[in-house]
Amino acid sequence: MNIPESAPSDTDLRSWLRARVAHYVQLDVADIDTTTALTTYGLDSVYALILCGDIEDHLELVLEPTVAWDHPTIDALARHLEETLAQGSPSGESR
Amino acid sequence: MIDETGSRDAQAGIAGPEDDPATAASIEDLAAATIDTPTTASLNDLEHLFGDPWDPDNPTGHAAVLAADEAGEMLAAGERLLDGYGLNAEFVPPELGGRLTRLDHLIEVMRVVFRYDPCLGLGYGASSLIPAVNVWAAGDERQRRRMAEVLLAGGRAVSGYHELAHGNDFARAEFSALPGDDGRLRLNGRKEVIANARRAEAMVLFARTSDAPGSRSHSQLFVEKADLPAGAPVHLPRFHSAGMRGVQLGGLEFRDCPIPADAVLGAPGLGMETALRSFQVTRTALPAMTAGILETGLEVTARFANERVLYGRSLAGMPYIGSILADAFTDLLICDCLATVTARSVHLLPGETSLYASAAKYFVATLLMDAMDALSRVLGAQFYIRDGGYGIFQKHLRDLAPAGFGHTARVACLSTVLPQLPRLARKGWLDDTQPPAGVFHLGADLPPLPFERLSISSGGRDSLSASLSAALGSCELDGELRRLVLVIAAEQADVRRECAALAPGDLTVAARPEALRLAARYAAVLAATACVNIWLHNRERHDAFLSDPRWAVAALGRIAERVGRDPGQRPRHVTERLSAEVLSRYRDRRGFGLSNRRLPG
Ligand SMILES: Cc1cc2nc3c(=O)[nH]c(=O)nc-3n(C[C@H](O)[C@H](O)[C@H](O)COP(=O)(O)OP(=O)(O)OC[C@H]3O[C@@H](n4cnc5c(N)ncnc54)[C@H](O)[C@@H]3O)c2cc1C
Repeated sequence: MNIPESAPSDTDLRSWLRARVAHYVQLDVADIDTTTALTTYGLDSVYALILCGDIEDHLELVLEPTVAWDHPTIDALARHLEETLAQGSPSGESR
Repeated sequence: MIDETGSRDAQAGIAGPEDDPATAASIEDLAAATIDTPTTASLNDLEHLFGDPWDPDNPTGHAAVLAADEAGEMLAAGERLLDGYGLNAEFVPPELGGRLTRLDHLIEVMRVVFRYDPCLGLGYGASSLIPAVNVWAAGDERQRRRMAEVLLAGGRAVSGYHELAHGNDFARAEFSALPGDDGRLRLNGRKEVIANARRAEAMVLFARTSDAPGSRSHSQLFVEKADLPAGAPVHLPRFHSAGMRGVQLGGLEFRDCPIPADAVLGAPGLGMETALRSFQVTRTALPAMTAGILETGLEVTARFANERVLYGRSLAGMPYIGSILADAFTDLLICDCLATVTARSVHLLPGETSLYASAAKYFVATLLMDAMDALSRVLGAQFYIRDGGYGIFQKHLRDLAPAGFGHTARVACLSTVLPQLPRLARKGWLDDTQPPAGVFHLGADLPPLPFERLSISSGGRDSLSASLSAALGSCELDGELRRLVLVIAAEQADVRRECAALAPGDLTVAARPEALRLAARYAAVLAATACVNIWLHNRERHDAFLSDPRWAVAALGRIAERVGRDPGQRPRHVTERLSAEVLSRYRDRRGFGLSNRRLPG
């Protein structure tokens, strides 16, 4: 997995997230709606933790493990990550 | 309750009934009690109170326990005994007036209870502990104080999570607490198969507080029965169970029942997160306490093997029987190592226990059940017969079954671990950061329980696993034990490789059995890591058995077999050392666990 030099744009991030979700739930990217709750795809509860780990490694951020519970669609998650990156500080300082 | 150790008993007086003479304990006694820890002395108090299990006239011995079980009732004399001892204080943190300073101590105390009567262990103990821990982890000042007061006064708490329709899938729980017209929350729905549903003064209820799907739609509620309107809740008929027959399993139904505005634990929506954090404490503690069942199983089987004469010789002298005893004893030691290291990790590595607690719950429960099954074969028909001298065995065997499915099914524990493994394989397991050595030092001091630092994910860290290669670096490790550690290290390397290659679908609820088995193999390696490090770090304890590497050789061999690796032929002197230890501990009345404690009587 490449780590981007600079923060990816919102669209990049969204399509990356969409690809990750499609990857885990084994659907075509085209079948993943960015406004649909991740729960609908079965990515809830402890299963949402895999996304959090992937995002942390991809963006080199430290996040709250519950990030995908609090921002439960791809759009919401992308928006939140975009803001976090813009602030230049991780949202989760708990470690 | 008056006996030689005034300090512990003074505490018991706080929780004891009004007429208990210990309530008159002096201020000095109380002050001493606050710094007291459940040392051997207080464990011995509890053992003394229970008395000789084999005495047919003992009101808390095996015969009485069996009679209560046959009647489907809790052992009343046992409940009174625990009231007097103030058992509930073991579940309350010290700043709230209790004795819950250390998880390993709590486990030791509860293990005594489970050895005598698992119904008391669950019905008097664990079912109040689970809701209490959730209040300690997420409750505000008032809620924490009230829960402590209820428990210290000898009250009970209901653990209200389970709904028949949803089982382990409690993210879909339907029981709801939504605002009514006046803005107050209204309870609607049922909680079923709930221990002490009718008998509890306080309850923690897991309820939906939002209609949205997802993991932020539930909250936990702390509700006292006294605050509910007359007629609420409606009690559903009792459920009758195959084991734990004395535990009163009931159901609660609420219909538009208003509750006080300040019932929510923490902020609304934190119910799931709080449960996943708090359950790390209880998933660690419950199976570890339950190991008391296997201790009794070993004692009963050793007694049988000792008494039974076939073909002109004692059963205990037959190598076949000796090897079954040795294996079951080894499994108990493995359980103790993993459970103790996990319990100490809750204090020392709270950020990582999301991995260890679920792995331990799976592995310890599995070993305990398999070992009891194996022992039942030694007893022959006597394990099937409900009365007579060995009747207690079949009760303990039945009472053990809920360890497999209760408080989260074993496979659901594996599915908590599994999604974290690929990232560990990519990164975490390449990091050589070691855990603090204190996780392996039996009995050494521990910092307070850090409820607030428990996290639902390990964030890609797993320092306990790194301590396997560190053990290999020790020059103390040689011979047969080193050879077996290398077998386990090979398994660890395979697990890492296979985790890195896991198919994405395997990280979801669609996981294949092979994928879940990887999580089980991870747990097995963790158990072996705990065993070898317990051996390495406790050799100065003047316990000739513990410092002898043979138990660790047997443990690693059993674990290797379990994951399908060939450990090689176990040397005969190893098996003989272990079976002889079982029989001598039985004859000398010593406990079968790691602590090797002398039992009174
Ligand atoms: C003696 C006793 C006391 C109890 N006390 C209480 C109490 O005080 N409070 C309370 O709330 N509850 C209590 N319970 C209920 C207990 O919590 C439930 O039995 C438990 O939660 C499991 O639910 P279930 O048995 O319905 O299993 P289900 O979830 O219906 O499981 C069915 C099957 O699905 C499997 N399964 C589940 N999840 C997964 C997964 N993720 N992946 C693969 N397979 C899976 C299970 O292993 C099982 O084989 C008690 C039960 C008993 C027997």
